[in-house]
Amino acid sequence: MRQLFPYLPALWNALGITVLIATLSILGAALTSVALGILRAARNSPARRVSAGTVEILRGASAIIYLFWIYYALPAVPGAPRLSPFAASVLVLSLTGGAYGAEIVRGGIQAVPHSQLDACHALGLSRRHTVLRVMLPQALSQIVPAFSSLAADMMKWTVIVSFVGVQDVFYVANTARAVTNRTVAIYLLLVVIYWLLCSCTSLIFRGIEYALPLSKARRASQAPSRSFSSTSATREPAVES
Amino acid sequence: MPTSPSSGISAVAAIQFANVSKSFGANSVLTGLDLSVAAGERLTLIGPSGSGKTTVLRLAMMLDRPTAGDIRLFGESIVKGPGGKPRRAREAARLRRRCGMVFQQFNLFPHMTVLQNLTLAPRTVLRLSAEESEQRALDHLRMVGLEDKRTAYPGQLSGGQQQRIAIARTLALRPDILLLDEITSSLDPELVGEVLEVVRRIAQETDITFLIVTHEMRFARQVSDRVAMFDSGRIIEEGSPELIFSEPRCERTKSFLRSVLDH
Amino acid sequence: MTWNWPYVAQIMPALLAGVWETFLVTVACAVIAIGGGLVLAVVSSLAGRPGRLAVRGVVELLRGVPILVVLYFGYYALPQLGVTLSAFFVGVLVLGVIYAAYCSEVYRGALLSIPAGTHDACAALGLSTVVTWRKVLIPLAVRRSVPALVNYVLVLYRQSAFLFAIGVPVLLARAQVAGDQSFRYLEPYTLTGVLYLTLNLPFVYLLHRHEARHAHIAV
Repeated sequence: MRQLFPYLPALWNALGITVLIATLSILGAALTSVALGILRAARNSPARRVSAGTVEILRGASAIIYLFWIYYALPAVPGAPRLSPFAASVLVLSLTGGAYGAEIVRGGIQAVPHSQLDACHALGLSRRHTVLRVMLPQALSQIVPAFSSLAADMMKWTVIVSFVGVQDVFYVANTARAVTNRTVAIYLLLVVIYWLLCSCTSLIFRGIEYALPLSKARRASQAPSRSFSSTSATREPAVES
Repeated sequence: MPTSPSSGISAVAAIQFANVSKSFGANSVLTGLDLSVAAGERLTLIGPSGSGKTTVLRLAMMLDRPTAGDIRLFGESIVKGPGGKPRRAREAARLRRRCGMVFQQFNLFPHMTVLQNLTLAPRTVLRLSAEESEQRALDHLRMVGLEDKRTAYPGQLSGGQQQRIAIARTLALRPDILLLDEITSSLDPELVGEVLEVVRRIAQETDITFLIVTHEMRFARQVSDRVAMFDSGRIIEEGSPELIFSEPRCERTKSFLRSVLDH
Repeated sequence: MTWNWPYVAQIMPALLAGVWETFLVTVACAVIAIGGGLVLAVVSSLAGRPGRLAVRGVVELLRGVPILVVLYFGYYALPQLGVTLSAFFVGVLVLGVIYAAYCSEVYRGALLSIPAGTHDACAALGLSTVVTWRKVLIPLAVRRSVPALVNYVLVLYRQSAFLFAIGVPVLLARAQVAGDQSFRYLEPYTLTGVLYLTLNLPFVYLLHRHEARHAHIAV
């Protein structure tokens, strides 16, 4: 065990890199998901089909294959950019995560009751306001919990970046193992590290879910002072309008 | 007693259906319907489920398009634009703003407080300032007697309260036409009265044209200028409430009223 | 550097051998996952609360750990414990056992969705536990699990690529070797991507068709 101590600083830095890559990738995936997800739920058929095709292709092979292609094969194409290992990793993880997230976003949008759309139409709300102020806030209540598991999975996917030379936790741990041969200790440590990273990710999303407008409304509705008669007084929640 | 319709400056009908048909696939809901509601008039549609009454409201609100025929609001067609081409979206939106609709399921926005529910449309559709929108919202909440609930969420309120707020939300846009689609059918019986009271008051205090679909016959009698009996997509009988409820002529009307009123 | 067809012809046999290896890995893992998962589900159901908690505990643990970590652990730690297996067996064992845990959750969900009335009927007919499980519960659970299981087979097929890291000659490994030997990476990796995708798509299509057809049938 003492053999591992010299590696702890490197491991700490590597932890920072893992977290950074995961954070950027999750953000990138969130953006990609929303874009692809809205297209997947679109009324217009070509948009639906193109986005469906894109999602299938991105989900069709393991992310590591795309990573190797972008990092090793793409530069061979004349005029194509040569991305750094870090950039290639974040790009690939964002796109593949976004492909899985697109289905989550689509499901959330389609779960909003159609009657809400009728109400928006009856009030004369524009398409933009209907989507941004009414549909998306309600869709998020279903999207965020599902996206939480995806984000935790993406935290695990970051291991593939070590294969293009990014010095993440997996890379440093393997280097340490190759030198010290303390296999069991190192991999147990990795198990603990990744388990903690995934749990923290889930907790963060749990927090996001808590702050959503619909969650606030639901919590208020479950308060014990719910009344069924219009004449009884209800306690007003301390909520700013 | 229902107020007499204001002597409109023009004789143009508020709502006019001309030979309107609507089918959903193979299912023909309305066939060649002619219907006219004068400005300021209160027309109630009664009839069995599936007879097409809700479809009439949805067509007037442009939630669906008619398969054939023309629909006019204050003389302007919502189906055809000038030159016979289909109405453009922005033109249609302008016409649609003269109509407001209250739904059976209230359809309040669950993630917004009552006040936010009421200010959203005035802010974004009518482009009123924040102060004006809030003032209008509070005025209309007062009109339905729920000003003290402005910071509550819909989920904290009873069905009757939610429906009254839905009415206030619609009225805040000052529509010329109010479409009421079975607004008490989803409510517990003891909550129906408070909602109908609000509608009665609005009928008395304003000149808004009403097109109502309801099963509440006593309410229909009190509020309506005219009642029309629907069956299988067509109007089979119409007239003043006294006529329809006391001396209906059609056998179908008689049997329907018997089944509804004998509880 | 642009596409070089003669080079493609040169590496194609190796790549196709990689496809075959991928296929073998997928099938072997699928057998372990689907079969092992069922065994796990039945045993944990019969073992009562402690059994169920044990399986749930393992699944939750695995959910937080990248598969590569477990793979490397198996590959490097097992020899230290005296167990020497080929990379193929280590890889198949690790993937198979991990996905057996996931599949057992699928079966468990399917078993729970069997209405209580069915259990009551078996009891009323006096059927023994063995017969109840063998003839009634297991077939019902398996039928309802099929879409999720097929999905996991597809996942295994994609995950099989990771076995390249411990030296199993799957398609990705062959591509890497070819690229490293000739310093031409465009053709091997592009072909790898295309091959993985095209072999994947028919099953995805079948799964969609099955979902669409059975969407409204309460199985």
